[in-house]
Amino acid sequence: MGGSIKINLEVRDAIIESGAGDVIKCYQCGRCMAACPWNLLEGLNYATYRFCQRIKLGAIIDSEEKEEIAADTIDVFRCVGCDSCKAECPRGVGLSDILRAVRRILVEFDSYPGELKSVVTRVFSSGNPLGESTEKRGDWAAGLNIPQYTEDCEYLYFPCCLPAYDARAKKISQATVRILKRADISFGIIGKEEFCCGEAVRRVGAEKVFQAAVKQNTELFKKAKVHKVIATSPHCLVTFTKEYPEYYDGFETLHAVQVFDRLIKDKTIVPKRPFEKTVVYHDPCTLGRQMDIYDEPRAVLKSIPGLKLIEVPIFNRDFSICCGGGAMGLWRDWPQDERLANLRTEQILATDADILCVACPYCLQMFEETLKSMDADIEVMDISEILEASLELR
Amino acid sequence: MDIIVCIKRVAQTAEAEVKIDSSGKDIIKDRLTFDMNESDTYALEEAILLKEKFGGTLTAVSLGTVEAEDTLRIALAKGADSAIRIKAEDFQELDGYKTAQLLKAAIKDLKFDVVFTGCIATDDYYSLVGVTLAELLGVPHATLVTKIVIQDTKAQVHRELEGGLVEHLEMTLPVLFTIQTGINEPRYASLIAIRRAAKKEIKVIGASEIDPANIQANASLEELFTPSVGKRAEILTGSMDEISAKVAGIIKEKGLL
Amino acid sequence: MNEIFALVEHRQGAIRDITYELLSCGRKLAEKENTKLTAIILGHNTDDLVQILKSQAHRLLVVDNDVFKDFNSELYQITLNEIMKKHNPMLFLMGHSAFGMDLCPALATQLGVPFTTDCLDIEFMEQKLKVTRQIYDGKLNAKVQLRENPGYMITLRSGCFPAGEGSLDGSVERFDTPVSTQPDYRKFIEYIEAAVGEVDITKSDILVSVGRGIKDQANLSIIEDFASAIGGVVACSRPVVDAGWMAKDRQVGSSGKTVKPKLYIALGISGAFQHIVGMKGADTIIAVNKDPNAPIFSEADYGIVDDLFKVMPVLKTKISEVKLAKG
Repeated sequence: MGGSIKINLEVRDAIIESGAGDVIKCYQCGRCMAACPWNLLEGLNYATYRFCQRIKLGAIIDSEEKEEIAADTIDVFRCVGCDSCKAECPRGVGLSDILRAVRRILVEFDSYPGELKSVVTRVFSSGNPLGESTEKRGDWAAGLNIPQYTEDCEYLYFPCCLPAYDARAKKISQATVRILKRADISFGIIGKEEFCCGEAVRRVGAEKVFQAAVKQNTELFKKAKVHKVIATSPHCLVTFTKEYPEYYDGFETLHAVQVFDRLIKDKTIVPKRPFEKTVVYHDPCTLGRQMDIYDEPRAVLKSIPGLKLIEVPIFNRDFSICCGGGAMGLWRDWPQDERLANLRTEQILATDADILCVACPYCLQMFEETLKSMDADIEVMDISEILEASLELR
Repeated sequence: MDIIVCIKRVAQTAEAEVKIDSSGKDIIKDRLTFDMNESDTYALEEAILLKEKFGGTLTAVSLGTVEAEDTLRIALAKGADSAIRIKAEDFQELDGYKTAQLLKAAIKDLKFDVVFTGCIATDDYYSLVGVTLAELLGVPHATLVTKIVIQDTKAQVHRELEGGLVEHLEMTLPVLFTIQTGINEPRYASLIAIRRAAKKEIKVIGASEIDPANIQANASLEELFTPSVGKRAEILTGSMDEISAKVAGIIKEKGLL
Repeated sequence: MNEIFALVEHRQGAIRDITYELLSCGRKLAEKENTKLTAIILGHNTDDLVQILKSQAHRLLVVDNDVFKDFNSELYQITLNEIMKKHNPMLFLMGHSAFGMDLCPALATQLGVPFTTDCLDIEFMEQKLKVTRQIYDGKLNAKVQLRENPGYMITLRSGCFPAGEGSLDGSVERFDTPVSTQPDYRKFIEYIEAAVGEVDITKSDILVSVGRGIKDQANLSIIEDFASAIGGVVACSRPVVDAGWMAKDRQVGSSGKTVKPKLYIALGISGAFQHIVGMKGADTIIAVNKDPNAPIFSEADYGIVDDLFKVMPVLKTKISEVKLAKG
């Protein structure tokens, strides 16, 4: 930044026009800074409270020095969209929405981190961030006898990209559909015509790719007459619930854990097999803070005999700390001392739980990867995997 | 120092499925992203670094359709002073040779000390535009450049050879370099520069400035086809000796021993 | 019928492998077109080169001068321009190498001869030349026809035309170079060996890539040893960099480098998708992992389900045997 601030109203207007109208509400109280998980990392000073002011002045990424421009750009792309700040802000400003407006301009000019660019390219070209073939999108369900979705189905099960392709995450989608099947839920899957929901590409500022995702998925849902969706990823849930209706509102979405909770409450499924483990539950940002779903996963876990549910002290429910995977954080490569996953993993390990229970495929990947380089005795499981283990075999 | 950098907007196919369209002569592009060719981003950065060091002008040139202006604007945002687009739509089927002739026609009246191009375009893979352009301009060239140090009119140049070997050359300006990836770290653009670039005028030249009749291509495309692919994942079994012998055989068969 | 020419590529006294591929391709074409193959040697103290290559061409056209001790495309261009004007070959072959890439387009442009680069296959029919090239990151092939002309110049991709034993007894013809000093505008100074730490894994044909399966930094020397035995370079997956065992520039994957070597040997890499996206473009993938369900096996062409430390010593011995048998 250097000394004096260079005011540039044209930059300001461009950012506001790109979706940062809320900057006007900020009065720099600094609560966002206190709430931001990045500032819990030692040595990192993520000056979130200054973003709105700098945008109001058009004085952001305004240096002429290559290194300073780079540092500022990296900071704009640091936010993972956990919405901790939004929850604390007295005026309800969401910094991730503000930064998204800046990102849109930068993405348009191809001025953003290369690892993100690769993911955006893959999503646009293949419909998933892994660059896997669309033809294989339904392969995860092979041998499970899951019907193709038809008009007669009540629900479409939408597995999200990682559980459709990644060997580890597939176990989530597979466990989930097996549970739905034994509960005799009327559902089907579509597979290869599905497209990534686009939640992460939108957060990263690649609006054109998000629009392509919306178009492809909503046309598919219309054509297939989908009215109810069960999602495994809370990221799909958030964008389907909060963002898609602007373009098409002919369907509603439930997270798998909401369905599990209901099935247990109405006794359609009864967890009987004891699961004698101490389990700590990690609230995903998108399921907790963004969708207010805190009780359902806890109720599901509490219904399992033998399972001892514990919490991360203080940092649970709406104070949960992000795994770092949001806004394509999954694909970032921060230095070791700048990783939210490390911070959160340490909090979790301190609970001495046997099992870390997650309800989001991003969290699963982030924690498993982090634990691989730590010498820790804890297993990461998705809530669907734990629930299935507690159900009687047929 | 006056500098010219030639850039190309290409389909980003490294991580995408590439399919042939019904004509058999082009690919389906509606699911591809387009960006500046990878080695061109390094050529642009090297040009900007030179300009920062010695002052002078930096002109970015691109042969392409109107969308190439987006790519030229990126160059303007990062540090080019002016930009020229050669209208690809005015010139029939292009190959590397024709591209070089068009670039020459577009820049022949400009003053320059150094011309930069990338060392290869990831779409057509020719690696010939830079060298051909140098020949047409009558200046010396070096390809696959990984380091440039300029003092007065002398340039100390490193070229990348096969097997990790580097060739050190001494050259006299004016000169043309084709730049290898990794030579520098391409920069981000500032928002001020992006806003400025968004409004800047791009000079467009086409058939009225360059007579298509005088420009000949060397190669014309007959057909595109998908290379045959082998099977995946054969688990080798047997004793450790047998397995190892199989692997050694496979490597030898590929001509890699 | 005009002849076929091929340019001999040599560096630091040794003939480059591509030369044999060019000559073998040239011989086959010459036979088919009922003409002769000339190998062009620009070098200094070329007697050894001539002896080695005598069986490979009908004629060897030799320019022996100390300016040709090392490669300088400007000097080559001046001299070859004279040779080409005199002989007008129907086809002039060069390697698509750092050498041919620097020379072919300039020389062909100067002569006004139609040319193209990086050919994987060529077809000659009634004076018409068609070539196959790879495009779009190697994902498609293009068949291209060159503008019809009595002569053409092309560069060939290495590894696409098998080298072969020659049984000819080529005549030797000398040619004088019109230049005997390096021009000021481009002077060869020296070769520089890449320093350790400057290895570019994206440029290596063979990568031996290690994952967390190597367990300890101390084990890296075994891997280095193995890699150099097969002429490869060591790369790694992210956990190895995270552990501080290898430099960041060796990392393959979404946050590291994307590589497309001819051979990728994955040792103890489970195959997290972040890694897979960086290496799935390799021509041949061989994976070694203890876990038969490791996802890497769904990307690999060949898999070995075992402890990498059991596999490597045996494999290294076998590979050395095969190498010796060839030499």
